[in-house]
Amino acid sequence: MKQSPEMEKLEAVLRSSKLVAGGFLGDDRRSVSEIVEDDRRRLAEAGSSCAELAGRMREITEAAKRQLGGCVKVSDQLEAWVEEAKGALVCPWSHSGGISKRTTTVRNVETGEIVTWSDLNIHLIEEHGFFEGKGSAMRLDPEELVKLIC
Amino acid sequence: MFTFFIPVLIVSCIATFLSISLVFAERFLAKYGEYTIDVNDGDKDVKVQSGVSLFGALAEEKIFVPSVCGGRGVCGYCRVKVFKGGGPLLPSETRLLTKSEIAEGMRLSCQVKVREDIRITIPQELLAVTEHVCRCVEIVELTGDIKLFRLELVEGDAFDHVAGQYVELLAPVYFSGGEEVYRSYSIASDPSEKGVLELIIRFVPGGICTTYCFEHLKVGGEVLLNGSYGEFRLSESEAPVVFIAGGSGMAPIRSMLYDMRNNQNRRKATYYFGANKVEELFMQDEMRRFEEELADFKFVPVVSLPGKNEDWDGEVGLVTEAVERGLLNASECEAYLCGSDGMIEACWKLLVEMGMGEDKIFFDSFE
Repeated sequence: MKQSPEMEKLEAVLRSSKLVAGGFLGDDRRSVSEIVEDDRRRLAEAGSSCAELAGRMREITEAAKRQLGGCVKVSDQLEAWVEEAKGALVCPWSHSGGISKRTTTVRNVETGEIVTWSDLNIHLIEEHGFFEGKGSAMRLDPEELVKLIC
Repeated sequence: MFTFFIPVLIVSCIATFLSISLVFAERFLAKYGEYTIDVNDGDKDVKVQSGVSLFGALAEEKIFVPSVCGGRGVCGYCRVKVFKGGGPLLPSETRLLTKSEIAEGMRLSCQVKVREDIRITIPQELLAVTEHVCRCVEIVELTGDIKLFRLELVEGDAFDHVAGQYVELLAPVYFSGGEEVYRSYSIASDPSEKGVLELIIRFVPGGICTTYCFEHLKVGGEVLLNGSYGEFRLSESEAPVVFIAGGSGMAPIRSMLYDMRNNQNRRKATYYFGANKVEELFMQDEMRRFEEELADFKFVPVVSLPGKNEDWDGEVGLVTEAVERGLLNASECEAYLCGSDGMIEACWKLLVEMGMGEDKIFFDSFE
């Protein structure tokens, strides 16, 4: 599918390591639109939406933030904690301002399953429906995420 | 046949005309040549060719304006005050600047193209920043995701810093499609060691610079950094000090402790250091040495979740809870905080509630 020049420019940024090491697309050869559409469809099939999922992720991050790095129980099965580093990340879609370098890790205490997301992940899902390409360092699988936290 | 060629000929003529017009406009109408950037009322004059970005021109002259996005007009950090020249404000700037900033002439230096003489003001400390080539001489693993990097100056003058300041470290291009980026790290070392810098860095998944440091930088390798920056430093007061930090927030506090030792500073000081698990505590031996070397210093490590099999008889809970239990004279103290926004916010709220003046709370936020 032919992309607009803006989308081509965006894809070049996402494939490059200009903003994050290894880029946002990993080794995924699909276009950004295809990735977004595919993940949106899978998310809907899993019974959620980007707004709903991002809202839940933010809720967990906020609860974990209050523990200042310590663990917080977010449900009977789930515990979460945040880790932070100096600096800020920026949105590749050029939303203004920096986003804290904060990751939230959620662990299912019964199964041991773990998922980690960054504040930038929450923004990208909420604003752009973007879960990153397969093989990128911070790629999230919509179905697995819904299964774990919703 | 002839009718087929007429439109082709017309299109070709129009294209040729437009090309000639562009060349003419570029040659005679566009503002080209050398222009001057006057920095801080003549403190520095920078000569640049027309058309370059103000951000790039300053960087070429080793004037390092902070930026997270590397000059893409995204982060909004590279603000400078432009008093003369600079051209019209761009939409990419208006969305990142407040009305009052715009009114006082603030611009994003990465969005300003130099097409005439420009007069700007930047924080004076940026003019004192120097660039250094350093060799990594030691890498110490402090926890699973935090390392100490000891860097020795390869060339140039001694590196001066005030305890509490930070440097910008350059991650070079280390894989295809990459780009050089600068990232800020607080200096952890003894300020009296002029040829050496120590940085305490936590690994960030997908982080360009931390990936470089953790996976590519080896002992013997060289790095480029510039600095020093920042106003986070110990005051001259005699008030008792409360340090609060967690993780890589150890860095500036450690440097301040060295400074106190070097200057035989006799201020009473207590350092609350928070960790999630016992295994995330580090430099405890060094902190115990400071307890012996400083006149009146106490190190209080706090673990929020000690494991069942871990031998831990120290403070348990959030670092704020330990401060609340241990600090009895908050109104007489000064606090120095380094860590995440969440930690700083929680500590700030607590300390104010405990009676500490807001002007007595100093912090170095991770953002």
